[in-house]
Amino acid sequence: MIRLNKVSKKYKNGTHALYDITLNIKEGEFVYIIGATGSGKSTLIKLLDGEEVPTSGDVIVNKINVGKLKKSKVPMYRRNIGVVFQDYRLLPKKNTFENVAYAMEVIDTPTKVLRPRVREVIKMVELSDKSTSFPGQLSGGQQQRVAIARAIANKPKILIADEPTGNLDPKMSDDIISLFERINKEEGTTILIVTHDIQTVKNHPKRTIEIASGHVVRDLPEGLKDEDIPKDIEPDVYFEQTAKLRLDEEKKQEETEELKEENV
Amino acid sequence: MFRRFSRHIKEGFIGVGRHFGMAISSSASVTIALFLVGFFLVITYNLNLIAKDIEQSISLSALVDYNITSQTALDTLEKQILSIDGVKTVEFRSKDDEFTYYVEQYPDIREFNEYYRDQNPFHDAFLVGVEDGNELETVKNKIAAINGIASVHDGGSNTYLLINALEKVRIFGGVLVLALAVLAVYLIYNTISITIRARDTEIWIMKNVGAKNGYIRAPFLVEGIIIGVLGSLIPIGAMIALYLYAFNRSDGVILGVFNLVEPYPFLLYLCLALLGIGIIVGFIGSYLSVSRLLRNKR
Ligand SMILES: Nc1ncnc2c1ncn2[C@@H]1O[C@H](COP(=O)(O)OP(=O)(O)OP(=O)(O)O)[C@@H](O)[C@H]1O
Ligand SMILES: [Mg+2]
Repeated sequence: MIRLNKVSKKYKNGTHALYDITLNIKEGEFVYIIGATGSGKSTLIKLLDGEEVPTSGDVIVNKINVGKLKKSKVPMYRRNIGVVFQDYRLLPKKNTFENVAYAMEVIDTPTKVLRPRVREVIKMVELSDKSTSFPGQLSGGQQQRVAIARAIANKPKILIADEPTGNLDPKMSDDIISLFERINKEEGTTILIVTHDIQTVKNHPKRTIEIASGHVVRDLPEGLKDEDIPKDIEPDVYFEQTAKLRLDEEKKQEETEELKEENV
Repeated sequence: MFRRFSRHIKEGFIGVGRHFGMAISSSASVTIALFLVGFFLVITYNLNLIAKDIEQSISLSALVDYNITSQTALDTLEKQILSIDGVKTVEFRSKDDEFTYYVEQYPDIREFNEYYRDQNPFHDAFLVGVEDGNELETVKNKIAAINGIASVHDGGSNTYLLINALEKVRIFGGVLVLALAVLAVYLIYNTISITIRARDTEIWIMKNVGAKNGYIRAPFLVEGIIIGVLGSLIPIGAMIALYLYAFNRSDGVILGVFNLVEPYPFLLYLCLALLGIGIIVGFIGSYLSVSRLLRNKR
Protein backbone atom coordinates (compact mmCIF):
# COMPACT_ATOMS: atom_id res chain seq x y z
CA MET A 1 0.00 0.00 0.00
CA ILE A 2 2.73 2.46 1.04
CA ARG A 3 6.30 1.95 -0.06
CA LEU A 4 9.17 4.35 0.47
CA ASN A 5 12.32 3.52 -1.40
CA LYS A 6 15.50 5.36 -0.33
CA VAL A 7 13.58 8.60 0.08
CA SER A 8 15.50 11.77 0.92
CA LYS A 9 14.06 15.24 1.33
CA LYS A 10 16.05 18.42 1.35
CA TYR A 11 14.04 21.66 1.53
CA LYS A 12 14.89 24.60 -0.69
CA ASN A 13 16.45 26.47 2.23
CA GLY A 14 18.96 23.63 2.61
CA THR A 15 17.39 21.82 5.59
CA HIS A 16 17.84 18.13 5.13
CA ALA A 17 14.70 16.66 6.73
CA LEU A 18 14.83 13.01 5.66
CA TYR A 19 17.69 10.70 4.68
CA ASP A 20 17.37 7.51 2.70
CA ILE A 21 14.10 6.32 4.22
CA THR A 22 12.98 2.84 3.17
CA LEU A 23 9.64 1.66 4.55
CA ASN A 24 6.81 -0.70 3.76
CA ILE A 25 3.31 -0.36 5.13
CA LYS A 26 0.69 -2.90 4.14
CA GLU A 27 -2.97 -2.31 3.42
CA GLY A 28 -5.04 -2.22 6.61
CA GLU A 29 -2.02 -1.68 8.89
CA PHE A 30 -2.09 0.61 11.91
CA VAL A 31 1.22 2.39 12.43
CA TYR A 32 2.57 4.97 14.86
CA ILE A 33 5.37 7.30 13.85
CA ILE A 34 7.26 8.76 16.79
CA GLY A 35 10.32 10.95 17.13
CA ALA A 36 11.65 14.17 18.59
CA THR A 37 10.49 17.53 17.35
CA GLY A 38 12.11 18.43 14.06
CA SER A 39 12.97 14.80 13.30
CA GLY A 40 11.05 14.84 10.02
CA LYS A 41 7.68 13.25 10.85
CA SER A 42 5.51 15.92 9.27
CA THR A 43 7.80 16.00 6.27
CA LEU A 44 7.13 12.31 5.80
CA ILE A 45 3.39 13.00 5.82
CA LYS A 46 3.75 15.80 3.30
CA LEU A 47 5.55 13.42 0.98
CA LEU A 48 2.73 10.92 1.35
CA ASP A 49 -0.10 13.33 0.54
CA GLY A 50 1.81 14.86 -2.33
CA GLU A 51 2.29 18.32 -0.86
CA GLU A 52 6.06 17.94 -1.12
CA VAL A 53 8.14 15.94 -3.58
CA PRO A 54 11.14 13.85 -2.51
CA THR A 55 14.58 15.12 -3.49
CA SER A 56 15.51 11.54 -4.37
CA GLY A 57 13.94 8.11 -4.07
CA ASP A 58 10.37 7.00 -4.69
CA VAL A 59 7.20 7.34 -2.64
CA ILE A 60 4.75 4.75 -3.91
CA VAL A 61 1.19 4.80 -2.60
CA ASN A 62 -1.44 2.53 -4.07
CA LYS A 63 0.99 1.80 -6.93
CA ILE A 64 1.13 5.53 -7.69
CA ASN A 65 4.51 7.25 -7.65
CA VAL A 66 3.45 10.29 -5.68
CA GLY A 67 6.57 12.39 -6.24
CA LYS A 68 6.28 12.01 -10.01
CA LEU A 69 2.59 12.86 -10.07
CA LYS A 70 1.67 15.73 -12.36
CA LYS A 71 0.33 18.72 -10.48
CA SER A 72 -3.05 18.41 -12.12
CA LYS A 73 -3.35 14.81 -10.92
CA VAL A 74 -2.65 15.59 -7.27
CA PRO A 75 -6.28 16.43 -6.35
CA MET A 76 -7.60 13.11 -7.66
CA TYR A 77 -4.79 11.28 -5.88
CA ARG A 78 -5.61 13.03 -2.62
CA ARG A 79 -9.07 11.57 -2.56
CA ASN A 80 -7.29 8.34 -1.46
CA ILE A 81 -5.99 9.99 1.67
CA GLY A 82 -7.70 11.52 4.69
CA VAL A 83 -5.76 13.80 7.02
CA VAL A 84 -6.34 14.98 10.56
CA PHE A 85 -4.29 17.59 12.40
CA GLN A 86 -3.75 18.65 15.96
CA ASP A 87 -5.73 21.86 15.43
CA TYR A 88 -8.94 20.26 14.05
CA ARG A 89 -9.41 22.95 11.38
CA LEU A 90 -13.19 23.01 11.47
CA LEU A 91 -15.28 25.76 9.91
CA PRO A 92 -16.65 27.76 12.87
CA LYS A 93 -19.83 28.86 11.10
CA LYS A 94 -20.88 25.37 10.10
CA ASN A 95 -22.35 22.78 12.44
CA THR A 96 -21.11 19.21 12.79
CA PHE A 97 -23.21 17.88 9.95
CA GLU A 98 -22.27 20.75 7.62
CA ASN A 99 -18.58 20.49 8.46
CA VAL A 100 -18.53 16.84 7.49
CA ALA A 101 -20.78 17.39 4.47
CA TYR A 102 -18.46 20.16 3.23
CA ALA A 103 -15.70 17.65 2.47
CA MET A 104 -18.08 15.72 0.25
CA GLU A 105 -19.71 18.73 -1.40
CA VAL A 106 -16.45 20.16 -2.68
CA ILE A 107 -15.74 17.03 -4.65
CA ASP A 108 -19.22 17.11 -6.16
CA THR A 109 -20.80 14.23 -4.28
CA PRO A 110 -24.50 13.91 -5.17
CA THR A 111 -26.80 14.85 -2.29
CA LYS A 112 -28.39 11.41 -2.40
CA VAL A 113 -25.07 9.77 -1.51
CA LEU A 114 -23.89 12.57 0.74
CA ARG A 115 -26.59 12.70 3.40
CA PRO A 116 -26.62 9.05 4.47
CA ARG A 117 -22.83 8.89 4.45
CA VAL A 118 -22.49 12.00 6.61
CA ARG A 119 -24.94 10.50 9.10
CA GLU A 120 -23.04 7.23 9.02
CA VAL A 121 -19.64 8.73 9.84
CA ILE A 122 -21.08 11.04 12.48
CA LYS A 123 -22.54 7.95 14.09
CA MET A 124 -19.22 6.18 13.84
CA VAL A 125 -17.49 8.96 15.78
CA GLU A 126 -20.38 8.91 18.27
CA LEU A 127 -21.57 12.46 17.72
CA SER A 128 -25.08 11.78 16.41
CA ASP A 129 -26.53 13.85 19.23
CA LYS A 130 -24.19 16.77 18.37
CA SER A 131 -25.11 16.92 14.70
CA THR A 132 -26.39 20.48 14.86
CA SER A 133 -23.81 21.82 17.33
CA PHE A 134 -21.22 24.31 16.17
CA PRO A 135 -17.50 23.77 16.84
CA GLY A 136 -17.56 26.44 19.55
CA GLN A 137 -20.08 24.36 21.47
CA LEU A 138 -17.95 21.19 21.39
CA SER A 139 -15.08 19.97 23.57
CA GLY A 140 -11.62 19.51 22.04
CA GLY A 141 -12.09 15.76 21.84
CA GLN A 142 -15.47 16.17 20.18
CA GLN A 143 -14.05 18.67 17.70
CA GLN A 144 -11.28 16.24 16.85
CA ARG A 145 -13.91 13.58 16.24
CA VAL A 146 -15.73 15.88 13.82
CA ALA A 147 -12.41 16.37 12.02
CA ILE A 148 -11.94 12.59 11.88
CA ALA A 149 -15.47 12.08 10.57
CA ARG A 150 -14.73 14.63 7.88
CA ALA A 151 -11.44 12.92 6.99
CA ILE A 152 -13.09 9.54 6.46
CA ALA A 153 -16.31 10.78 4.84
CA ASN A 154 -14.95 10.26 1.33
CA LYS A 155 -13.77 6.73 2.21
CA PRO A 156 -10.04 7.27 1.84
CA LYS A 157 -7.85 4.17 1.72
CA ILE A 158 -5.35 5.78 4.08
CA LEU A 159 -5.97 7.97 7.10
CA ILE A 160 -3.06 10.06 8.31
CA ALA A 161 -3.11 11.96 11.60
CA ASP A 162 -0.39 14.43 12.63
CA GLU A 163 -0.45 14.75 16.44
CA PRO A 164 -4.21 14.15 16.66
CA THR A 165 -4.11 14.06 20.46
CA GLY A 166 -1.66 16.90 20.92
CA ASN A 167 -4.26 19.22 22.48
CA LEU A 168 -6.21 16.60 24.42
CA ASP A 169 -6.03 15.19 27.94
CA PRO A 170 -5.09 11.50 28.41
CA LYS A 171 -8.67 10.26 28.68
CA MET A 172 -9.79 11.99 25.51
CA SER A 173 -6.61 10.91 23.74
CA ASP A 174 -7.40 7.34 24.63
CA ASP A 175 -10.89 7.67 23.15
CA ILE A 176 -9.52 9.16 19.95
CA ILE A 177 -7.04 6.31 19.49
CA SER A 178 -9.83 3.80 20.16
CA LEU A 179 -11.82 5.54 17.46
CA PHE A 180 -8.91 5.15 15.02
CA GLU A 181 -8.77 1.46 15.93
CA ARG A 182 -12.46 1.10 15.15
CA ILE A 183 -12.14 2.91 11.82
CA ASN A 184 -9.20 0.65 11.03
CA LYS A 185 -11.29 -2.41 11.75
CA GLU A 186 -14.67 -1.38 10.37
CA GLU A 187 -13.64 0.52 7.24
CA GLY A 188 -10.39 -1.33 6.62
CA THR A 189 -8.58 2.01 6.41
CA THR A 190 -4.80 1.99 6.66
CA ILE A 191 -3.87 4.25 9.56
CA LEU A 192 -0.76 6.34 10.19
CA ILE A 193 -0.52 8.32 13.39
CA VAL A 194 2.28 10.74 14.16
CA THR A 195 2.52 11.32 17.89
CA HIS A 196 4.57 12.42 20.87
CA ASP A 197 2.11 10.78 23.19
CA ILE A 198 4.07 7.77 24.46
CA GLN A 199 1.50 6.81 27.09
CA THR A 200 -1.26 6.38 24.52
CA VAL A 201 1.09 4.52 22.21
CA LYS A 202 1.83 2.10 25.03
CA ASN A 203 -1.86 1.66 25.89
CA HIS A 204 -2.72 0.68 22.33
CA PRO A 205 0.32 -1.20 21.12
CA LYS A 206 0.77 -1.14 17.36
CA ARG A 207 3.66 -1.20 14.93
CA THR A 208 5.83 1.79 15.85
CA ILE A 209 8.38 3.52 13.65
CA GLU A 210 10.81 5.91 15.31
CA ILE A 211 12.45 8.68 13.36
CA ALA A 212 15.45 10.65 14.59
CA SER A 213 17.10 13.43 12.61
CA GLY A 214 15.55 12.20 9.40
CA HIS A 215 16.49 8.54 9.82
CA VAL A 216 14.36 5.56 10.73
CA VAL A 217 16.09 4.43 13.90
CA ARG A 218 13.63 1.76 15.04
CA ASP A 219 10.76 -0.16 13.51
CA LEU A 220 9.03 -2.20 16.21
CA PRO A 221 6.35 -4.54 14.79
CA GLU A 222 4.92 -5.26 18.25
CA GLY A 223 4.90 -1.64 19.35
CA LEU A 224 6.72 0.25 22.02
CA LYS A 225 7.38 -1.76 25.21
CA ASP A 226 8.29 -0.39 28.60
CA GLU A 227 11.86 -1.59 28.20
CA ASP A 228 12.18 0.41 24.96
CA ILE A 229 11.93 3.65 26.86
CA PRO A 230 13.70 4.29 30.14
CA LYS A 231 11.19 4.97 32.94
CA ASP A 232 13.07 7.76 34.68
CA ILE A 233 13.10 10.10 31.74
CA GLU A 234 10.53 12.24 29.85
CA PRO A 235 9.79 10.71 26.44
CA ASP A 236 10.58 13.93 24.59
CA VAL A 237 13.89 14.27 26.35
CA TYR A 238 14.63 10.68 25.58
CA PHE A 239 13.82 11.17 21.91
CA GLU A 240 16.13 14.12 21.77
CA GLN A 241 18.90 12.15 23.36
CA THR A 242 18.59 9.31 20.87
CA ALA A 243 18.51 11.89 18.12
CA LYS A 244 21.73 13.40 19.44
CA LEU A 245 23.35 10.01 19.69
CA ARG A 246 22.29 9.33 16.15
CA LEU A 247 23.71 12.63 14.96
CA ASP A 248 27.00 12.03 16.74
CA GLU A 249 27.22 8.60 15.14
CA GLU A 250 26.60 10.15 11.75
CA LYS A 251 29.27 12.75 12.27
CA LYS A 252 31.75 10.06 13.28
CA GLN A 253 30.84 8.10 10.19
CA GLU A 254 31.25 11.09 7.96
CA GLU A 255 34.57 11.90 9.56
CA THR A 256 35.88 8.36 9.09
CA GLU A 257 34.68 8.46 5.49
CA GLU A 258 36.47 11.74 4.98
CA LEU A 259 39.57 10.23 6.55
CA LYS A 260 39.31 7.29 4.21
CA GLU A 261 38.98 9.60 1.25
CA GLU A 262 42.02 11.55 2.37
CA ASN A 263 44.02 8.36 2.76
CA VAL A 264 43.19 7.14 -0.72
CA MET B 1 -23.60 21.11 -12.71
CA PHE B 2 -26.04 23.96 -12.24
CA ARG B 3 -25.95 23.49 -8.48
CA ARG B 4 -22.21 23.78 -8.56
CA PHE B 5 -22.31 26.85 -10.75
CA SER B 6 -24.78 28.66 -8.52
CA ARG B 7 -22.69 27.63 -5.53
CA HIS B 8 -19.63 29.40 -6.96
CA ILE B 9 -21.69 32.50 -7.72
CA LYS B 10 -23.12 32.49 -4.21
CA GLU B 11 -19.68 32.06 -2.64
CA GLY B 12 -18.42 34.92 -4.80
CA PHE B 13 -21.11 37.27 -3.51
CA ILE B 14 -20.51 36.12 0.05
CA GLY B 15 -16.84 36.95 -0.46
CA VAL B 16 -17.70 40.47 -1.63
CA GLY B 17 -20.03 40.90 1.35
CA ARG B 18 -17.44 39.68 3.82
CA HIS B 19 -14.91 42.30 2.78
CA PHE B 20 -17.31 44.93 1.66
CA GLY B 21 -15.01 47.86 2.40
CA MET B 22 -12.12 46.35 0.50
CA ALA B 23 -14.38 45.28 -2.33
CA ILE B 24 -15.85 48.76 -2.63
CA SER B 25 -12.50 50.49 -2.60
CA SER B 26 -11.14 48.26 -5.32
CA SER B 27 -14.38 48.73 -7.23
CA ALA B 28 -13.81 52.46 -6.87
CA SER B 29 -10.39 52.13 -8.43
CA VAL B 30 -11.96 50.27 -11.32
CA THR B 31 -14.53 53.06 -11.52
CA ILE B 32 -11.88 55.76 -11.76
CA ALA B 33 -9.88 53.81 -14.29
CA LEU B 34 -12.94 53.14 -16.42
CA PHE B 35 -14.05 56.77 -16.22
CA LEU B 36 -10.76 57.82 -17.75
CA VAL B 37 -10.88 54.97 -20.22
CA GLY B 38 -14.36 56.09 -21.20
CA PHE B 39 -13.40 59.74 -21.66
CA PHE B 40 -10.34 58.75 -23.51
CA LEU B 41 -12.23 56.44 -25.84
CA VAL B 42 -14.78 59.15 -26.56
CA ILE B 43 -12.07 61.67 -27.32
CA THR B 44 -9.90 59.42 -29.44
CA TYR B 45 -12.83 58.06 -31.32
CA ASN B 46 -13.98 61.55 -32.19
CA LEU B 47 -10.46 62.73 -32.93
CA ASN B 48 -10.07 59.77 -35.24
CA LEU B 49 -13.11 60.85 -37.14
CA ILE B 50 -11.69 64.37 -37.43
CA ALA B 51 -8.30 63.04 -38.39
CA LYS B 52 -9.86 60.98 -41.12
CA ASP B 53 -11.61 64.06 -42.47
CA ILE B 54 -8.32 65.86 -42.55
CA GLU B 55 -6.30 63.01 -43.91
CA GLN B 56 -8.70 62.56 -46.75
CA SER B 57 -7.95 66.06 -47.89
CA ILE B 58 -4.24 65.62 -47.60
CA SER B 59 -2.48 65.65 -50.91
CA LEU B 60 0.87 66.60 -52.32
CA SER B 61 1.57 68.40 -55.51
CA ALA B 62 4.67 67.32 -57.37
CA LEU B 63 5.97 69.82 -59.89
CA VAL B 64 7.58 68.52 -63.08
CA ASP B 65 10.81 69.99 -64.46
CA TYR B 66 10.18 72.47 -67.30
CA ASN B 67 12.30 70.48 -69.73
CA ILE B 68 10.08 67.40 -69.55
CA THR B 69 7.34 67.81 -72.07
CA SER B 70 6.88 64.54 -73.99
CA GLN B 71 3.80 62.46 -73.11
CA THR B 72 5.88 59.26 -72.65
CA ALA B 73 8.18 60.95 -70.17
CA LEU B 74 5.17 62.23 -68.23
CA ASP B 75 3.60 58.76 -68.24
CA THR B 76 6.81 57.24 -66.87
CA LEU B 77 6.85 59.81 -64.08
CA GLU B 78 3.25 59.05 -63.22
CA LYS B 79 4.00 55.33 -63.00
CA GLN B 80 7.04 55.98 -60.82
CA ILE B 81 5.01 58.02 -58.36
CA LEU B 82 2.18 55.51 -58.30
CA SER B 83 4.61 52.71 -57.44
CA ILE B 84 5.64 54.42 -54.18
CA ASP B 85 4.24 52.80 -51.02
CA GLY B 86 1.51 54.87 -49.44
CA VAL B 87 0.46 56.66 -52.61
CA LYS B 88 -3.25 56.29 -53.19
CA THR B 89 -3.99 58.33 -56.29
CA VAL B 90 -2.08 60.31 -58.88
CA GLU B 91 -3.75 62.91 -61.04
CA PHE B 92 -2.05 64.86 -63.81
CA ARG B 93 -2.54 68.58 -64.12
CA SER B 94 -1.04 70.29 -67.12
CA LYS B 95 0.41 73.74 -66.69
CA ASP B 96 -2.47 75.01 -68.74
CA ASP B 97 -4.92 73.58 -66.23
CA GLU B 98 -2.93 75.13 -63.45
CA PHE B 99 -3.03 78.46 -65.14
CA THR B 100 -6.76 78.23 -65.67
CA TYR B 101 -7.24 77.28 -62.05
CA TYR B 102 -5.15 80.25 -61.03
CA VAL B 103 -6.99 82.64 -63.31
CA GLU B 104 -10.35 81.55 -62.05
CA GLN B 105 -9.39 82.31 -58.49
CA TYR B 106 -9.19 85.99 -59.37
CA PRO B 107 -12.17 86.66 -61.65
CA ASP B 108 -11.79 90.46 -61.29
CA ILE B 109 -8.51 90.52 -63.14
CA ARG B 110 -9.21 87.62 -65.48
CA GLU B 111 -8.62 89.67 -68.64
CA PHE B 112 -5.35 90.91 -67.36
CA ASN B 113 -4.16 87.47 -66.43
CA GLU B 114 -5.30 85.79 -69.62
CA TYR B 115 -3.01 88.14 -71.49
CA TYR B 116 -0.02 86.33 -70.04
CA ARG B 117 -1.14 82.74 -70.84
CA ASP B 118 1.68 82.46 -73.42
CA GLN B 119 4.26 83.10 -70.78
CA ASN B 120 2.67 80.63 -68.32
CA PRO B 121 5.09 80.32 -65.39
CA PHE B 122 3.43 77.20 -63.99
CA HIS B 123 4.89 73.67 -64.04
CA ASP B 124 3.09 70.59 -65.22
CA ALA B 125 2.14 68.86 -61.98
CA PHE B 126 0.89 65.66 -60.36
CA LEU B 127 -1.65 65.83 -57.58
CA VAL B 128 -0.76 62.90 -55.29
CA GLY B 129 -3.27 61.47 -52.79
CA VAL B 130 -1.63 59.86 -49.75
CA GLU B 131 -3.16 56.90 -47.89
CA ASP B 132 -2.14 57.84 -44.38
CA GLY B 133 -1.30 61.22 -42.92
CA ASN B 134 1.55 59.67 -40.97
CA GLU B 135 3.31 58.73 -44.19
CA LEU B 136 3.08 62.17 -45.71
CA GLU B 137 6.67 63.08 -44.97
CA THR B 138 8.26 59.88 -46.30
CA VAL B 139 6.14 59.86 -49.44
CA LYS B 140 7.03 63.49 -50.03
CA ASN B 141 10.75 62.76 -49.79
CA LYS B 142 10.51 59.77 -52.08
CA ILE B 143 8.71 61.73 -54.78
CA ALA B 144 11.16 64.60 -54.52
CA ALA B 145 13.99 62.14 -55.17
CA ILE B 146 12.58 61.10 -58.56
CA ASN B 147 14.47 62.38 -61.59
CA GLY B 148 12.39 64.95 -63.42
CA ILE B 149 10.50 66.24 -60.39
CA ALA B 150 11.41 69.81 -59.62
CA SER B 151 9.83 70.05 -56.19
CA VAL B 152 7.02 68.72 -53.96
CA HIS B 153 4.60 70.80 -51.92
CA ASP B 154 2.01 69.98 -49.29
CA GLY B 155 -0.79 71.78 -47.50
CA GLY B 156 1.69 73.22 -45.03
CA SER B 157 3.26 72.25 -41.72
CA ASN B 158 -0.02 72.64 -39.83
CA THR B 159 -1.22 69.38 -41.27
CA TYR B 160 1.82 67.62 -39.83
CA LEU B 161 1.41 69.21 -36.46
CA LEU B 162 -2.20 68.21 -36.19
CA ILE B 163 -1.50 64.65 -37.28
CA ASN B 164 1.41 64.38 -34.86
CA ALA B 165 -0.67 65.82 -32.06
CA LEU B 166 -3.44 63.31 -32.66
CA GLU B 167 -0.91 60.53 -32.60
CA LYS B 168 0.53 61.77 -29.31
CA VAL B 169 -2.90 62.03 -27.73
CA ARG B 170 -3.56 58.46 -28.74
CA ILE B 171 -0.28 57.16 -27.33
CA PHE B 172 -0.50 59.14 -24.11
CA GLY B 173 -4.08 58.05 -23.56
CA GLY B 174 -3.21 54.43 -24.24
CA VAL B 175 -0.37 54.49 -21.73
CA LEU B 176 -2.55 56.22 -19.14
CA VAL B 177 -5.33 53.71 -19.57
CA LEU B 178 -2.90 50.81 -19.35
CA ALA B 179 -1.37 52.18 -16.16
CA LEU B 180 -4.80 52.62 -14.59
CA ALA B 181 -5.82 49.13 -15.60
CA VAL B 182 -2.68 47.75 -13.98
CA LEU B 183 -3.45 49.70 -10.82
CA ALA B 184 -7.01 48.34 -10.75
CA VAL B 185 -5.70 44.80 -11.28
CA TYR B 186 -3.31 45.31 -8.38
CA LEU B 187 -6.02 46.54 -6.02
CA ILE B 188 -8.31 43.68 -6.91
CA TYR B 189 -5.39 41.31 -6.46
CA ASN B 190 -4.95 42.63 -2.91
CA THR B 191 -8.64 42.39 -2.09
CA ILE B 192 -8.84 38.81 -3.28
CA SER B 193 -5.64 37.95 -1.40
CA ILE B 194 -7.32 39.08 1.79
CA THR B 195 -10.46 37.09 1.05
CA ILE B 196 -8.28 34.10 0.40
CA ARG B 197 -6.50 34.49 3.70
CA ALA B 198 -9.86 34.71 5.44
CA ARG B 199 -10.83 31.46 3.83
CA ASP B 200 -7.62 29.54 4.26
CA THR B 201 -9.23 26.80 6.36
CA GLU B 202 -11.77 26.17 3.64
CA ILE B 203 -9.06 26.11 1.03
CA TRP B 204 -6.98 23.79 3.17
CA ILE B 205 -9.91 21.39 3.50
CA MET B 206 -10.69 21.55 -0.19
CA LYS B 207 -7.08 20.78 -1.09
CA ASN B 208 -6.90 17.96 1.39
CA VAL B 209 -10.00 16.16 0.28
CA GLY B 210 -8.94 16.53 -3.33
CA ALA B 211 -11.18 19.27 -4.73
CA LYS B 212 -10.02 20.24 -8.21
CA ASN B 213 -8.03 23.44 -8.58
CA GLY B 214 -10.68 24.90 -10.85
CA TYR B 215 -13.26 24.30 -8.17
CA ILE B 216 -11.17 26.04 -5.52
CA ARG B 217 -10.45 28.92 -7.87
CA ALA B 218 -13.97 29.55 -9.12
CA PRO B 219 -15.55 31.52 -6.23
CA PHE B 220 -12.58 33.90 -6.10
CA LEU B 221 -12.74 34.51 -9.81
CA VAL B 222 -16.44 35.22 -9.45
CA GLU B 223 -15.66 37.64 -6.65
CA GLY B 224 -13.06 39.45 -8.77
CA ILE B 225 -15.48 39.70 -11.67
CA ILE B 226 -18.22 41.04 -9.41
CA ILE B 227 -15.85 43.77 -8.22
CA GLY B 228 -14.95 44.59 -11.82
CA VAL B 229 -18.59 44.74 -12.91
CA LEU B 230 -19.58 46.87 -9.91
CA GLY B 231 -16.76 49.23 -10.79
CA SER B 232 -17.97 49.60 -14.37
CA LEU B 233 -21.59 50.49 -13.62
CA ILE B 234 -21.10 54.14 -12.70
CA PRO B 235 -18.78 54.97 -15.62
CA ILE B 236 -21.18 53.30 -18.03
CA GLY B 237 -24.13 55.32 -16.75
CA ALA B 238 -22.13 58.52 -16.68
CA MET B 239 -20.73 58.06 -20.18
CA ILE B 240 -24.18 57.52 -21.66
CA ALA B 241 -25.63 60.55 -19.88
CA LEU B 242 -22.70 62.89 -20.59
CA TYR B 243 -22.29 61.95 -24.22
CA LEU B 244 -25.97 62.21 -25.03
CA TYR B 245 -26.06 65.57 -23.29
CA ALA B 246 -23.01 66.86 -25.18
CA PHE B 247 -24.27 65.52 -28.47
CA ASN B 248 -27.74 67.01 -28.18
CA ARG B 249 -26.47 70.27 -26.81
CA SER B 250 -24.07 70.77 -29.72
CA ASP B 251 -26.29 69.25 -32.40
CA GLY B 252 -23.49 66.82 -33.12
CA VAL B 253 -21.04 69.43 -34.31
CA ILE B 254 -18.10 70.94 -32.45
CA LEU B 255 -15.93 73.95 -33.33
CA GLY B 256 -18.42 74.65 -36.05
CA VAL B 257 -16.97 72.16 -38.52
CA PHE B 258 -16.17 68.82 -36.97
CA ASN B 259 -18.84 66.15 -36.62
CA LEU B 260 -19.29 64.16 -33.39
CA VAL B 261 -19.72 60.39 -33.68
CA GLU B 262 -23.38 59.39 -33.73
CA PRO B 263 -24.43 58.10 -30.28
CA TYR B 264 -25.81 54.87 -31.67
CA PRO B 265 -24.21 52.35 -31.99
CA PHE B 266 -21.07 54.10 -30.67
CA LEU B 267 -22.36 54.33 -27.08
CA LEU B 268 -23.39 50.69 -27.10
CA TYR B 269 -19.88 49.62 -28.10
CA LEU B 270 -18.38 52.01 -25.59
CA CYS B 271 -20.46 50.53 -22.75
CA LEU B 272 -19.67 46.98 -23.79
CA ALA B 273 -16.00 47.90 -23.89
CA LEU B 274 -16.14 49.39 -20.38
CA LEU B 275 -18.03 46.40 -19.02
CA GLY B 276 -15.62 44.06 -20.77
CA ILE B 277 -12.59 45.87 -19.35
CA GLY B 278 -14.16 45.73 -15.87
CA ILE B 279 -14.69 42.00 -16.18
CA ILE B 280 -11.23 41.36 -17.58
CA VAL B 281 -9.51 43.48 -14.94
CA GLY B 282 -11.46 41.71 -12.16
CA PHE B 283 -10.70 38.33 -13.65
CA ILE B 284 -6.98 38.97 -14.06
CA GLY B 285 -6.61 40.43 -10.55
CA SER B 286 -8.30 37.51 -8.87
CA TYR B 287 -6.71 34.94 -11.17
CA LEU B 288 -3.22 36.15 -10.30
CA SER B 289 -4.07 36.11 -6.63
CA VAL B 290 -5.51 32.58 -6.58
CA SER B 291 -2.78 31.25 -8.82
CA ARG B 292 -0.13 32.43 -6.42
CA LEU B 293 -1.89 30.50 -3.68
CA LEU B 294 -2.33 27.34 -5.72
CA ARG B 295 1.19 27.48 -7.05
CA ASN B 296 2.77 27.69 -3.62
CA LYS B 297 1.36 24.36 -2.60
CA ARG B 298 0.92 21.26 -4.60
N1 LIG C 1 8.71 23.97 4.39
C1 LIG C 1 9.90 23.81 5.00
N2 LIG C 1 10.98 24.48 4.55
C2 LIG C 1 12.18 24.32 5.11
N3 LIG C 1 12.43 23.52 6.15
C3 LIG C 1 11.40 22.82 6.67
C4 LIG C 1 10.08 22.93 6.12
N4 LIG C 1 9.26 22.14 6.82
C5 LIG C 1 10.02 21.56 7.77
N5 LIG C 1 11.31 21.97 7.69
C6 LIG C 1 12.43 21.53 8.51
O1 LIG C 1 12.59 20.13 8.33
C7 LIG C 1 12.88 19.49 9.56
C8 LIG C 1 11.81 18.44 9.86
O2 LIG C 1 10.59 19.11 10.08
P1 LIG C 1 9.24 18.33 10.38
O3 LIG C 1 8.17 19.33 10.38
O4 LIG C 1 9.14 17.21 9.44
O5 LIG C 1 9.50 17.82 11.85
P2 LIG C 1 8.52 17.05 12.83
O6 LIG C 1 9.17 15.74 13.12
O7 LIG C 1 7.15 17.02 12.27
O8 LIG C 1 8.56 17.98 14.11
P3 LIG C 1 7.40 18.29 15.17
O9 LIG C 1 7.32 17.09 16.07
O10 LIG C 1 7.89 19.49 15.89
O11 LIG C 1 6.14 18.52 14.41
C9 LIG C 1 12.95 20.59 10.60
O12 LIG C 1 14.29 20.94 10.76
C10 LIG C 1 12.16 21.73 9.97
O13 LIG C 1 12.67 22.95 10.41
MG1 LIG D 1 5.27 17.90 12.84
